[in-house]
Amino acid sequence: MKAAFLLFLATAAHAAKLSADSVKYSIISAKGEPSTKSFVPTEKPSSEVVTLSGDQTLKLSLQVVDQATGKGVQPEQAFLRFYDEQSGEEGIQPIRVTSSGKAKFDLSMAKPPASLPPTSTAPLKVTLLLGSSSHSPQKLELFNLHVPASHPAPVHPDEVKFHLLPELAHTFRPDPKLPPRAISALFTGIILVVPWSILLGLWLSVSPQVPRLFSPNILPFTASLGAFEFLLYRYWVDLKLGDVLTYGAFLGVVTVFTGRHALASIADRRLGSQK
Amino acid sequence: MRTRSHSKSPLSWSLFTLLSVILSALVQLSSAGKSASSTGDSVLVILEPAKKAEYSIFLDGLEKKGYTITFRAPKEEHPLLIEDGLPNFSHVILLASDTKSFAKDIGPQSLVQLLSLGTNLVLTLGLKQNLLTSLAPEFSLLLPPPATPLVSFFPERSDSPNVIPIDVSSQFIPNDTFSVLSSQVTGKVWFSGTPFALNPNPLLFPILHAPAESFAADTSDASGLVSDALADASEKGGEGLWAGSSLSVVAGFQTLIGGGTGHGPDAGSGEDKQTRAVWVGGSSLFSDEFAKKQVVEKIIQERGMKVVENPSGNKQAALEIAGWAFQERGVLRIDEVTHHKVNQTGPVEMYTTNDEIVYTTRISSFNPSTKKWERYSGLKDLQLEFTMLDPHVRTALLPVSGKPGTYSTTFRAPDRHGVFKFVISYQRKGFTHLHHTLSVAVVPPRHDGYPRFLSAAWPYYAGAISTSVGFLLFCAIYVAGEAKEEKKNKKE
Repeated sequence: MKAAFLLFLATAAHAAKLSADSVKYSIISAKGEPSTKSFVPTEKPSSEVVTLSGDQTLKLSLQVVDQATGKGVQPEQAFLRFYDEQSGEEGIQPIRVTSSGKAKFDLSMAKPPASLPPTSTAPLKVTLLLGSSSHSPQKLELFNLHVPASHPAPVHPDEVKFHLLPELAHTFRPDPKLPPRAISALFTGIILVVPWSILLGLWLSVSPQVPRLFSPNILPFTASLGAFEFLLYRYWVDLKLGDVLTYGAFLGVVTVFTGRHALASIADRRLGSQK
Repeated sequence: MRTRSHSKSPLSWSLFTLLSVILSALVQLSSAGKSASSTGDSVLVILEPAKKAEYSIFLDGLEKKGYTITFRAPKEEHPLLIEDGLPNFSHVILLASDTKSFAKDIGPQSLVQLLSLGTNLVLTLGLKQNLLTSLAPEFSLLLPPPATPLVSFFPERSDSPNVIPIDVSSQFIPNDTFSVLSSQVTGKVWFSGTPFALNPNPLLFPILHAPAESFAADTSDASGLVSDALADASEKGGEGLWAGSSLSVVAGFQTLIGGGTGHGPDAGSGEDKQTRAVWVGGSSLFSDEFAKKQVVEKIIQERGMKVVENPSGNKQAALEIAGWAFQERGVLRIDEVTHHKVNQTGPVEMYTTNDEIVYTTRISSFNPSTKKWERYSGLKDLQLEFTMLDPHVRTALLPVSGKPGTYSTTFRAPDRHGVFKFVISYQRKGFTHLHHTLSVAVVPPRHDGYPRFLSAAWPYYAGAISTSVGFLLFCAIYVAGEAKEEKKNKKE
């Protein structure tokens, strides 16, 4: 290890940069001519765009050379890095380099390698990483690769709970609809007018006399009946059942006595008139 | 630094433990410890005594923060990690990463038990196989084969390719993850050791990624053999190749709630037993050597290159990594939860469907510099769920301006009756998980709780009132009237 380190130090002093020479790529589809293109990759972001469809194969060939001497080098590290800048997904594919520095890589979209990261519509930035203990490392931007979108990366089922969850709102039942007030008022009017006009009409033909309405024998009874009606109205408006029963019990006792007295007085009167 | 003395006789030992239990109970009763941690001051460092001096900067830094450090050699029998079912230390750092065998009580089970008992762990992996490399998969870490360190030829430097400067500022940290390494970590962090891939597990999150150009390999062979081995490894597929920035060199693990708190009706905040474990790929990250090692950087200027030597960020990074593990930062708790109807104060026993409910909570965060819990309004993505089996309502709990640490929301109770729960379940990577549930009944309106005097019912009201009035009139006429016809009939 130490020896290697010293060796590295020695070489680092006059380390020549690694470089890639005669970089070519061709796209081969099931039918049609393969199109080959050679280009010179640099360290700056590449403007090359390569689009691969599902049935095409990308063939990449290059030679790793010593930049100073131009001789082929077999480095320890010759990686293609596929990087999706939007999702942050990354894949690393080592490529085989012969001792003369020649390297080939095939990317078949029909059978994509495991190193190809899950893709979306964003392009993959393809970078060539060359690293060796005997040379200065080199990082070359090759091209932007458009490939068909794949399935998203698998995530843990609980992963969603560790992020902001979508808001949920309860769907309420719609408010009950009321008929127009005019119709309600019309029917209320009918209900008030029709029975009362019949009743009053019939009563007019009978023309009942109430001579003893305010007689002290009768009035308490009619008043207590009225109080019962008022109590029931109060019950409807705001009283609780317990209150109603209590008041009703008192009122009931009173009504029993006033009623007995009123009926007794009527009986007295009728019996008296018969005599 | 103090080393705990080991008593010889069993009697004095048990007396000592009794005293220490009473003392620790007293310490826990007093509101704040003297260290920057929210969970305790005592730290056990498992380290070969000969290597103590290699980590002096890191360990001095810990002591300055108020921690009490106890040392234990990996094969020493005392002090025990767990005694009588209780952990002896609040935090354990395992720096003896290259040790093959440990004392009996240091094992995978006891380390996991420590976590469930409330002890935080900092675990460093070595290149050789030992108990930690077998424990790591249980934490969803995928380790490369033994003796394959992280290697990077980038950037060009005079150091061995195994010693790698990692840029902290370019690390990608999602918005909702706590950044363990703060902006105070300036400069690059030296790392040497083994990287690991992370299986999908939401409890585990990367603290420091490996550089994109790095990979795990044994580079002692000739260069051709190395590259062939790498190509072979990747052709195996799956986990064959450890390379790139998806690897981590430091990862944090936040345990779920232990001890049964936090679940069930009306449970408390339940942060008490949550513990943290940090996995570090190499103990040298904490070492004096890397803390002092300068980072040589070439800066490309208009007039050629300029070589700059910067101090490394290791000293600060080591303290911050340990500080996160020891629950100094990213520690939250729920202090209080209240709820009431809109325009009313005071709690209610039950809500009626469609009531407008105001839910308020107060959250504190531990401040390691003042060593106190302080009200914390910094949570931007806190959510409240109102659940009966499923969440019926999930709404954002937003900080109330002017009231530090208070988060509040108003929502309408669903028009379904039953026993609902107010649920806060805030789980974010690097933060203490907050759990709080509170049951409340939602009932339909009472018989007199419905709206009255509806216009649609006017005919019914009129009919009822009219009948009553008719009855009263009839009674009055019947009782008070003269029965003329009857008299005539009777006379006939």
